[in-house]
Amino acid sequence: MRILFCLSLALALGCAHSPAAPAPAPAPAPAAPTPSPPPAADAAAARFVPPDARPAFEIPVEFYTLTNGLKVVLSRDTTAPIVTVGVYYHIGFRIEPRNRTGFAHLFEHMMFQGSENLGKLAFIQLVQRNGGILNGSTRFDFTNYFEVVPANVLETMLWAEADRMRGLKVTQDNLTNQQGVVKSEVRVNVLNRPYGGWPWLTVPQLANKNWYNAHNFYGDLGDLDAATLQDVQQFFTTYYAPNNAALVVSGNFDPGPVKAWVSKYFEGIPRADVPPVPDLTEPPQTEEQWKTVDDKLAQRPALAVAYHMPPRGSPEFWAMALLQQILVEGPDSRLYQELVQKRGLTGEVEGGANLLGNQYDYQGPMLWMASLFHDTGHSPKEIVAAIDTAIEPLRRAPVDQETLDRARVKARSAYYADLERLYGFGRADLLATHALFDGDPAAVNRIEPSLLAVTPELIQRTAQEWLRPTNRTVVALQPAGGK
Amino acid sequence: MLRTLAGLSLLGSTLALAAPETPPVPGPTPPFELPATTRFKLRNGVQVTLVPYGAVPKSNVSLVVRLGNVDEPAGQTGLTDLTGKLLLQGTGTKSAIQVAEVAAKLGGAVAVNVREDETSLEMECLGDSTAEAVRLVAEVARTPSFPAAELARLKGDLLREVAIQRSQPQPLAEEAFARAIYGSHPYGRVLPVAAEVETFTLEQARQLWTRYAGADRAHLYVVGRFDPAAVRAAIEEAFGGWGKAKAPARPRPTPHAGKRVFLVDRPGAVQSTVRIGLPVVPPTSPDYIPLVVTDTLLGGSFGSRITANIREKHGYTYSPRSALGVHPGVGVWVEQADVTTKDTAAALREVLAEVEHLRKEPPTAEELTGIQKYVAGTFVLRNSSRAGIIAQLRFVDLYGLPADWLQTYLPRVEALKPADITRVTRQYLDPSRMTLVVVGDRTVVEDSLKQFGPVKIEAPR
Repeated sequence: MRILFCLSLALALGCAHSPAAPAPAPAPAPAAPTPSPPPAADAAAARFVPPDARPAFEIPVEFYTLTNGLKVVLSRDTTAPIVTVGVYYHIGFRIEPRNRTGFAHLFEHMMFQGSENLGKLAFIQLVQRNGGILNGSTRFDFTNYFEVVPANVLETMLWAEADRMRGLKVTQDNLTNQQGVVKSEVRVNVLNRPYGGWPWLTVPQLANKNWYNAHNFYGDLGDLDAATLQDVQQFFTTYYAPNNAALVVSGNFDPGPVKAWVSKYFEGIPRADVPPVPDLTEPPQTEEQWKTVDDKLAQRPALAVAYHMPPRGSPEFWAMALLQQILVEGPDSRLYQELVQKRGLTGEVEGGANLLGNQYDYQGPMLWMASLFHDTGHSPKEIVAAIDTAIEPLRRAPVDQETLDRARVKARSAYYADLERLYGFGRADLLATHALFDGDPAAVNRIEPSLLAVTPELIQRTAQEWLRPTNRTVVALQPAGGK
Repeated sequence: MLRTLAGLSLLGSTLALAAPETPPVPGPTPPFELPATTRFKLRNGVQVTLVPYGAVPKSNVSLVVRLGNVDEPAGQTGLTDLTGKLLLQGTGTKSAIQVAEVAAKLGGAVAVNVREDETSLEMECLGDSTAEAVRLVAEVARTPSFPAAELARLKGDLLREVAIQRSQPQPLAEEAFARAIYGSHPYGRVLPVAAEVETFTLEQARQLWTRYAGADRAHLYVVGRFDPAAVRAAIEEAFGGWGKAKAPARPRPTPHAGKRVFLVDRPGAVQSTVRIGLPVVPPTSPDYIPLVVTDTLLGGSFGSRITANIREKHGYTYSPRSALGVHPGVGVWVEQADVTTKDTAAALREVLAEVEHLRKEPPTAEELTGIQKYVAGTFVLRNSSRAGIIAQLRFVDLYGLPADWLQTYLPRVEALKPADITRVTRQYLDPSRMTLVVVGDRTVVEDSLKQFGPVKIEAPR
């Protein structure tokens, strides 16, 4: 049976239509980039392993900051004659205006509607007609724009990304058109299908308390309609500044001219005063929450459990990465064995932190989720009891060496898969987010040692505190059709 | 130069540092060489392709067997899918959990993917573990235990998957379109039917696998960072004793063209899920690559004409796309989109108008060159990941294409002229022979669809 529909395109410009660590060579620095600031005190991977810990697979990282504050990361990989250019802006859907739900994502679409030197559709055609692919996506704490292009097109892409960082030139017609496109996106991914937004969009709204973490990130259709050109302008001037962004060039680039190009095209873009990020804190949860949602298009029920994650970069955060391997990754995992193989309650359990990315590419409160589809003959209570049967032993005793060894191998393998995602775009994503959030893209090279440093005791302690039932929300999706 | 947005200056004083008016012109495209492959055949007929590739220390192991949904008789749609699930329930020496644990120690999991023409057993692992992964995949393929105790559970899983698929508009559109094109041929049966799944027996699944899956019907692909000598030795040891299998008699597909309109009612749907298309040619045809380029220009890329029209001009839809769907001996061109209900007929008219336009007027050399570069660029991307490399090699093998097909792909794309695009569009993409499928709210859309022909109401199976 073919897989006929996939949801991986959520909150993106569009759906994709297609389908040995070299050392960086020194290059003359034409402008005078300021030295990069030291990593932030809470840098994700900084605390858990020594700063010189080395991974089995090491990525070359060169990092500097332009005088206008733009963070620049260069990482060479000569496997294929292609290069990824990614520009990440530190504005995610969490902090969009309160009466403009969905605006961060609508704005992302507007970044393709015209800049001073590239009209509507021209950016897309500039990429495609030079042999590349592109997309943009809006996430909790960033909005990204990226291209994977033949290596010879690098300078052209740097020029084009700088062009739209300088300023947009869009019309009311462009905005009206993209309001239609985005509303169509919400319809196809949420409104016109069963399990629309399940669980990635639905569950944060029910599990979180702080509006920034708990609103409809795709947007109410009314709010999308209400957006004005004025809003577009204001959002751009507020957040789309070089000192609020990171540029990554990753892949098979010629290290000679790349820095000169970056300076030439980006150095002249002025910085802006970016407002501080509002308080995103979630209040600690002390009682279990049970919620239900009705889905009139669904035929079978679904269930999700969502636990608040420990802070990014803490020892417990790294233990959660191992717990994910132990609990939901692969058919040897505890939830799979208990719910699928042993009890036959479902055919598959999916889960993890940050379903719109991975455990590393966000900055703020996050949920760890597991979700499944089941049959009407089994109640949510029965399923949650089975979930507890799998989780509680991890809270009571340290895991055995065999389980830990398997989790470590799987975690390493999964991290490599994150790096390789979409022709190497995944590597650019990790470098960009660690530059943007931590001022330390080289922290990517500490992910693997951190995963391997997690101990059975830390796993138990983490499960005790963070996988406690009173730290979770259970969401049961009830099908109207199957009742 | 003004940095304006709706007439308001955004960054007024920075204009002195302006970028050039036109993008820097890229230098020559770097040469692309396909990764070197080693191909050999075991004495019992197992085909093997090894491709050392990449920097990341991982490998993909993929055992492709010539057994797919196309081999299911009427009344047994989905039996291969159930068989695929059963394959993972243990071997002669390992329980299901033991298989899963061994795979996890190698850095992955064994997955079975059942498709229309082939079934594959696949595993991604750490590069150092490649030989072990080969042995595990061989054990699962050769000695599945088919435990009776798991049958009811796995049928329940399949029934749940089918129910979920059938509650979504895109699979329903896919099913109706395939039935319209392929009729009673197995390619016309896209989704299993609950009442049929209920009747499947363990013996049917076991027979399907033991009869048709064997050495001379299998091809093993290994791509990644591995020790070629150790992997070769593991392959010979693990697969050398596998017996041969029978070849199922596959019915010849006879696709139907014709202007027909099918409507699957989905009351209250806020979008219509549409398919428009017709049979074209399979990959063995000399016109296949010209059609790939034509499709990319017409609807198969973000900047394509149909997408520019119904998305970027009219805002009817988010993710329209066209594609060539192929099987051995047949190919179909199809445009698909989810459009706002009230715009259903308008969107269909625009799609057909774009096809007509390309039939009348050749593209400019500039537009075609851009599309050729895009097709070439995405070809390079497809051949720049382990899974992508396997997919490309499988394509060549499934369709029996010449050994140099991938090597000559880029020059054949680059040789096309605007007149070639017009010729294949006229020859193959005739709107008067296109079948339309709409899954949507009948009360709103039925009348407006009559302009395309008599509307036949389809009930989902």
